[in-house]
Amino acid sequence: MRVTQASEQAQFLAQLDSLESNISVTQNDITSGDAYTEPSQDPTAAGEVDNYDQVLAQSQQYSTNASAAQGGLNTEDSALTQVTSQLQSLRDLALEANSGTESTQNLSAIATQVQQIQQSLLGLANTQDGNGNYIFGGYATQTQPFALTATGAAYSGDNGQNQVQIAAGQTVASADNGNTVFNNILTGNGSFTVTANAANTGSGLIGAATVTDPTAYTAGDYAINFTTADSYQVVNSTTNAVVTSGTYTSGQAISFNGTNINLTGTPAAGDSFAVTPSTNQSIFSTVQNLVTALQAANGTATSSTQLSNSITGAINDIGQALDQVATVQASVGGRLNAITTQLSVNTSQQTQLQTTIASLQGLNIVSAYSTLEAQNTTLSAAMQAFTITQGLSLFKYISG
Amino acid sequence: MSDLFSISTSALQAFQQAISVVSNNIANANTPGYADESINLSSVVPQTTFGQGIGDGVAVTSVTRAVSQVAQTQLYSSQSTLGQLDSLQTYTNNVDNIVGTTAGGVSTALQNYYSAWSTVANDPTSAASRQALLGDAQSVASAFQTTSSQLQSLNTAVNTGITSDVSQINSLATSISSLNQQIVSSTSGSAAQAPNDLLDQRDADLSSLSKLVGINTTSNSDGSVNVFIGSGQPLILQGSTTTLTTVPNQYNASQLEVSTSTNGGNPISSDITSGDLGGLLAARSQSIDPTLNQLGQLATAFATSANTQQNAGTDLNGGVGENLFSIDGPTASASTNNTGTGAATVTVSNVGALTSDNYLLSYTNGAYSLSNASTGAAVAFTSTGTAADPTITADGLTIATSGTPVSGDTFLIQPTVQTAGSIAVAISDPAKLAAAAALQTSAAGTNTGTATLSDATVVTSSNANLLDTTTIAFTSPTTYTVNGSATSNTLPASGLISLNGWQVTLSGTPADGDTFTVQASSSGDNQNALASANQQTLGVLSNGTISTTGAASDLVTAVGSQAQQVTTAQTAQTAVNTAAQASVSSVSGVNLDEEAANLLQWQQAYQASAQALSIGNSTFQTFLTAISATT
Repeated sequence: MRVTQASEQAQFLAQLDSLESNISVTQNDITSGDAYTEPSQDPTAAGEVDNYDQVLAQSQQYSTNASAAQGGLNTEDSALTQVTSQLQSLRDLALEANSGTESTQNLSAIATQVQQIQQSLLGLANTQDGNGNYIFGGYATQTQPFALTATGAAYSGDNGQNQVQIAAGQTVASADNGNTVFNNILTGNGSFTVTANAANTGSGLIGAATVTDPTAYTAGDYAINFTTADSYQVVNSTTNAVVTSGTYTSGQAISFNGTNINLTGTPAAGDSFAVTPSTNQSIFSTVQNLVTALQAANGTATSSTQLSNSITGAINDIGQALDQVATVQASVGGRLNAITTQLSVNTSQQTQLQTTIASLQGLNIVSAYSTLEAQNTTLSAAMQAFTITQGLSLFKYISG
Repeated sequence: MSDLFSISTSALQAFQQAISVVSNNIANANTPGYADESINLSSVVPQTTFGQGIGDGVAVTSVTRAVSQVAQTQLYSSQSTLGQLDSLQTYTNNVDNIVGTTAGGVSTALQNYYSAWSTVANDPTSAASRQALLGDAQSVASAFQTTSSQLQSLNTAVNTGITSDVSQINSLATSISSLNQQIVSSTSGSAAQAPNDLLDQRDADLSSLSKLVGINTTSNSDGSVNVFIGSGQPLILQGSTTTLTTVPNQYNASQLEVSTSTNGGNPISSDITSGDLGGLLAARSQSIDPTLNQLGQLATAFATSANTQQNAGTDLNGGVGENLFSIDGPTASASTNNTGTGAATVTVSNVGALTSDNYLLSYTNGAYSLSNASTGAAVAFTSTGTAADPTITADGLTIATSGTPVSGDTFLIQPTVQTAGSIAVAISDPAKLAAAAALQTSAAGTNTGTATLSDATVVTSSNANLLDTTTIAFTSPTTYTVNGSATSNTLPASGLISLNGWQVTLSGTPADGDTFTVQASSSGDNQNALASANQQTLGVLSNGTISTTGAASDLVTAVGSQAQQVTTAQTAQTAVNTAAQASVSSVSGVNLDEEAANLLQWQQAYQASAQALSIGNSTFQTFLTAISATT
């Protein structure tokens, strides 16, 4: 093919442009440390990296969330530990008051101590986290959830329970509300409760009361009525039908409706004990009932029997509360474990993602350098070749 | 003897001319459009018929240009294609730069926005984290706006380019037309010589023209050429020149289209597919506008889903969440050619079904029809499209038509092209962020049944009584009363209870006397914040298959792929063009070595002729000396 100098030069210039632009791209890559600086250099990788960046950021946010939840749950855990210890002290005081040897004065002193425990419990129920949120208020984190009343405590929180996202599709509850921890505690043995009629004149004391046959047990109101000091009738309070009757022996179980109820002491004719299904009662009501009972004691035999029966009821209720707090605390522990596990899963996922992103986006510096070297060699070779061919001209050999 | 002188003289003249042609070639070695010229010589036939037939010397018959019409046509065509790809590449690279590796920062901003919701969920009443979230929401809006306005500025640049191209095309057409006339007049005379310099100039102009717009040329017998552009629109035809003009797009006055002086302002843009002008038009229709549409689709989906979630919750003050983002809806632009009074109002009814396409709504013979504006494919819609049935629903859009259109009227529907530029944060008070679920449900502690109530779902956030406290009291396992009213309601088997714009589902069996409460949730509730954070992975686009952040990644890939494709095509076309140039140059170019050899050749011939003249002279002198000696 016939070649002209002008087209040779134009082609050389075009090639020079293209070679120099390639060198500039490689140089740019090396300076930035990225395999590409514009998506067009590797559109698939650019899209994938953008996506992985999102997943990574999300995973890092999950870890932040998990740490926040961990903080909240640790606060709750320590509050619950203190609640347990307060409830144990309360039970010890109740047992002390129930020894039957305490004077009215002593009982009144015990009542004061119980009131102090009530204050401590109130403080614990109104625990705030580092951000000033009440942890036992449900969703109502800005309002103090508990305030003492004459019969216990009013709850101004709600049933809410906030969740925290700690992984894709995995949430953990970051707190428990006051109803779960303090308010919804079943009275008695959790199925039913036995209470002495306030008008009882005998010294009948309530002992152990259990459900012995859960299949036979149906919740309902019953009354154990003493017709004489040693014979009783169990009456269904709704229908007034006599369920069973028998001769009373102190300490011997009265059995009906799948339950065993132990009564001791000497009831008088006309005394009555009510058997009612357990209902939810707040810890604060339990404590308040105990305080009221302790303060009502006036040293008479009847009063002492009433006190004893009240304390027995209170001890049962405190036991239920301890169970409830233990259950919640176990659940908190489980959640803390789940968070710890997920935090380490998240960390390894993040490492994995960072590796993937680096492999897609990161520049192989060695290969980039050798590319640059090769591009430089090509450029200088092209320049040399051009000067050689341009040096060839017939005119050089024509001399005037 | 006179023969000897005249022969030598003719030779000296001819070779002098030949040397001039070579010199001219050397002088024009780098002149664009110049075609290598060569001198054609012929021997002069002797006039006398007696005696021996000795020639009468040499004469120059013509100077011809080395031109290959085929090679030139190929070069024009490849220059047009390259011109188109060059300008398209400039724009796709710009779009690539603007969108970049993070979709113009949208991707990063979205990431931060969703993380901020998560942080709010961790402490829903914290003013600091709410303020931070508002800042991140603002960043999302800014990223959309900035990217959109940068892309829009490319459209302005396209307009400038079109105007400049049209003006250059017109001046080249005028120049070619005038060269045509000169060529015709200089070839029509009796002693006509080929007007090589004019032809060179015309070729140079045609070559320049082919870079601006694809051309087809035909030659007339008088030496003039006809030039056609686009799909055969004449630019120069038999001495008449058509002027190209720019006209505003019939639907969008801010976009310029190309028209001609002869067709009454009708655009011919769609016919112009090559040359720099074709590249500009393609950049607008294939790169800039589709990217704006995709970005807008993402913005609409993002804002709509964020607002829907916001409306389902309550803010720190206990009010139902207000829209977090404001964003424009789709636009429906009537053509300036419409003669009727018809109008269309378009709203997005289903974000998931929304596409990044534009639509053409046409009214023909009493009914509307809908088609894809770029492909022309018919789009199915629900309605007969007649006046009796004015609302058309298609592809997630609700098109309400009104007025009295005339057959032939058209409307361009652009669902998302301007939405990314219009997105803004609608609330400024951090307390207005709805982190809490609107409602909470609870069961009374005294309930003895096994029934539990689900969370309340907001169905109609605008219901005035939405946040009212509602007590549901069961009077039997299947009947209930509301708020102490005497009216007994029957619980359906599904357990679904709907009231005041919300819905709850009861599972299990309630006992007589059990009560449940549905009431406004408290400020510390984080359910709505949690749901907002989870929108990061929630499919909202393409019928719920693609999340907003996924769409941002897809945009990065799509824009990058297009830039890469165009660059690849441009590189390939550059090679094709180099070959076409080399092919033209191999015929028409000036080879200096060749010229040097020719120069030597003619120099030697000149020297020999001069020598012959000198010998003739000395021979004549010898004769004169001999005569003078004898006399």
